Amino acid sequence: MTQDVEMKEVPAPSNSTASSSPSTFHHLKEIASLIETGAYAREVRRIVRAVRLTMALRRKLKAQVLSAFLNFALTPGSEPHNRLASYLPKEDEHEMEVDTATSVTQTPVKHPLPELEIYCYLLVLIYLIDQKKYNEAKACSSASVARLKNLNRRTVDVLASRLYFYYSLSYELTGDLAEIRGNLLALHRIATLRHDELGQETLLNLLLRNYLHYNLYDQAEKLRSKAPRFEAHSNQQFCRYLFYLGKIRTIQLEYTDAKESLLQAARKAPVAALGFRVQCNKWAIIVRLLLGEIPERTVFMQKGMENALRPYFELTNAVRIGDLELFKSVAEKFSTTFSSDRTHNLIVRLRHNVIRTGLRNISISYSRISLADVAKKLRLDSANPVTDAESIVAKAIRDGAIDATLDRANGWMVSKETGDIYSTNEPQIAFNSRIAFCLNMHNEAVRALRFPPNSHKEKESAEKRRERQQQEQELAKHIAEEDDDEF
Amino acid sequence: MDPKLAEVSQLFERFKAACAREDVDTCCNVLSKLKVLLTGFSSLPPLFEDTPNAIHELTLARDIYEHAVLLSVKIGDQDAFERDFFQLKPYYTDASSSRLPPSSQEYMILGLNLLRLLVQNRIAEFHTELELLSSTALENPCIKHAVELEQSFMEGAYNRVLSAKQTVPCKTYDYFMDLLAKTVRDEIAGCSEKAYGYLSVSDARQMLLFSSDNELLQYIKEEQPEWEIKTGQVIFQKAKESASCKEIPSLQLINQTLSYARELERIV
Repeated sequence: MTQDVEMKEVPAPSNSTASSSPSTFHHLKEIASLIETGAYAREVRRIVRAVRLTMALRRKLKAQVLSAFLNFALTPGSEPHNRLASYLPKEDEHEMEVDTATSVTQTPVKHPLPELEIYCYLLVLIYLIDQKKYNEAKACSSASVARLKNLNRRTVDVLASRLYFYYSLSYELTGDLAEIRGNLLALHRIATLRHDELGQETLLNLLLRNYLHYNLYDQAEKLRSKAPRFEAHSNQQFCRYLFYLGKIRTIQLEYTDAKESLLQAARKAPVAALGFRVQCNKWAIIVRLLLGEIPERTVFMQKGMENALRPYFELTNAVRIGDLELFKSVAEKFSTTFSSDRTHNLIVRLRHNVIRTGLRNISISYSRISLADVAKKLRLDSANPVTDAESIVAKAIRDGAIDATLDRANGWMVSKETGDIYSTNEPQIAFNSRIAFCLNMHNEAVRALRFPPNSHKEKESAEKRRERQQQEQELAKHIAEEDDDEF
Repeated sequence: MDPKLAEVSQLFERFKAACAREDVDTCCNVLSKLKVLLTGFSSLPPLFEDTPNAIHELTLARDIYEHAVLLSVKIGDQDAFERDFFQLKPYYTDASSSRLPPSSQEYMILGLNLLRLLVQNRIAEFHTELELLSSTALENPCIKHAVELEQSFMEGAYNRVLSAKQTVPCKTYDYFMDLLAKTVRDEIAGCSEKAYGYLSVSDARQMLLFSSDNELLQYIKEEQPEWEIKTGQVIFQKAKESASCKEIPSLQLINQTLSYARELERIV
């Protein structure tokens, strides 16, 4: 198909845009050809690469470039093209910047591949979301999801999973997440039927996010426990899954599991994902406080996170000192931050930990102390602090938080001597857990080495073919003899 | 008015009258009949169809379930409470946001549910339910009472828990508070066992909230056979001094070392 080229003499100031948009357009065309080859050869990894390159181009997308690309990839006047073009703002015709050089040499696309069509949907959707046109993004994404239901090709899966993500994002940004819950569930079913593992992963994460957005932890856990699980295909999806899992476990009071998941998510997340890591760290800090351990100062001083983590730093301070008054004042001071982070209920649970830490400090520092003094130091504000202190200390002793005995007749608490710990088995047990962890990590790293699937089959034949061709050439060049087929 | 609706309303009036008379059997019978009739309405969950009488039907159904919940508290049936509460929940979450005016008893029933979870020691579910409540709900005295109760329970200030019995926001809470008292007593016994070496009988009786020494002795005989009673003192069994700390746990060490050897061999 030939394209009408309209070149306009651009005035000097917009020269910079003229120079950048051809290269963006050029890149987009490269990506399109990459997708084509990937689709024809059924190599999913090329499509993954194409998506990755697109993300790099994200900031440079402009309406003109997109229209030009749409004209290039889809036949203008066809139904998908019209639908997609309607989402882009109408630019004046004569401002369309098209590179003359490339337009002459471009090879027309005979019939648009479904992959290419979905890719165009993806581009338009990203552009609309970046331009903050959320309502149009909603409409576009719903249309794309409807289109995807008819396609059943593995090569489309990668693009499809990105599309689902933006679909959910556009609805979330307009506050309508509950609407699409049914759709997401149906899509998840379809993905499971088609053995589309990447799609399943993405959709499970989106569903969990949907439930957690509305605080429906119960339903989220029910879904998560019943959904099929397998080896993670995408690191980012796995990180998200760990984060949501950590959140659910925290609310369900399973702090050890939660801590593991959250710390793993924070570690595995790419360095560029600062917001995500900040969130993971916030929750991880609170879980560690709830477990009774104090996170080190370095956690709060990580690059780029100091401001966001400042309220949590002060909270940790209050818990560490074991001072109830300070804790209350910090909680009030930063209550807006905590409510927006939705960690407010967890902070309330921390009060118990503050008392425990205070008690522990007292028990270590005093060999014998009267209960009235304990109540005064803990600053328990209640009707009869001494009886309160007595019951609290009794419970702490039973839970193993402090090592002491109570003497009711005299009304004091006697701390036990802490024996020499190195003569017991404690160090061995601690070492063992660390060794087991390191060995586990080594095993997981080995398992995580990924080789492209079917590589041993394909590559061999391709290699052997290449080898054979090379040998044929050599034979033909140097020795004027007949080729004999090697195999 | 729709004849089905009229029938249900009439039956509901009879139910309310029976409740006021404290006639439990009639109540239960009428309630089952009402529930069967309610299945005839299609505007109720889970269908939520938009029929012309939808709002009326929804309100009526919600009232019926609220009364069912309160009835189950009266007869002390926790399973029935749970069932009826689960059926009531969609009316509070889904229906109320769109169409129905808020119910006056909503917070009281939510508070009752929280209390029930606390009594049954389902703390994880307690917190999950808590997450679903908005901040305005948390200010409500019924719910605040339950939340503070849970906090005191967690901290171990059991005397606060018991004194909270006096400050219940509504009478219906009494049933659960009594159950809670029993749980608290068991907890106090457990804590005292570990914390005190011995207690005088009068102190023990005071802490465990028995009104006489005989009750205390009976309790000890039934529940806590390890406690000894000597010369007016209750002696808790001290943790047996294990002389085994001199031994080396050889089996454990062997297992650990073998696993290290195995893993190291795997490293190519």
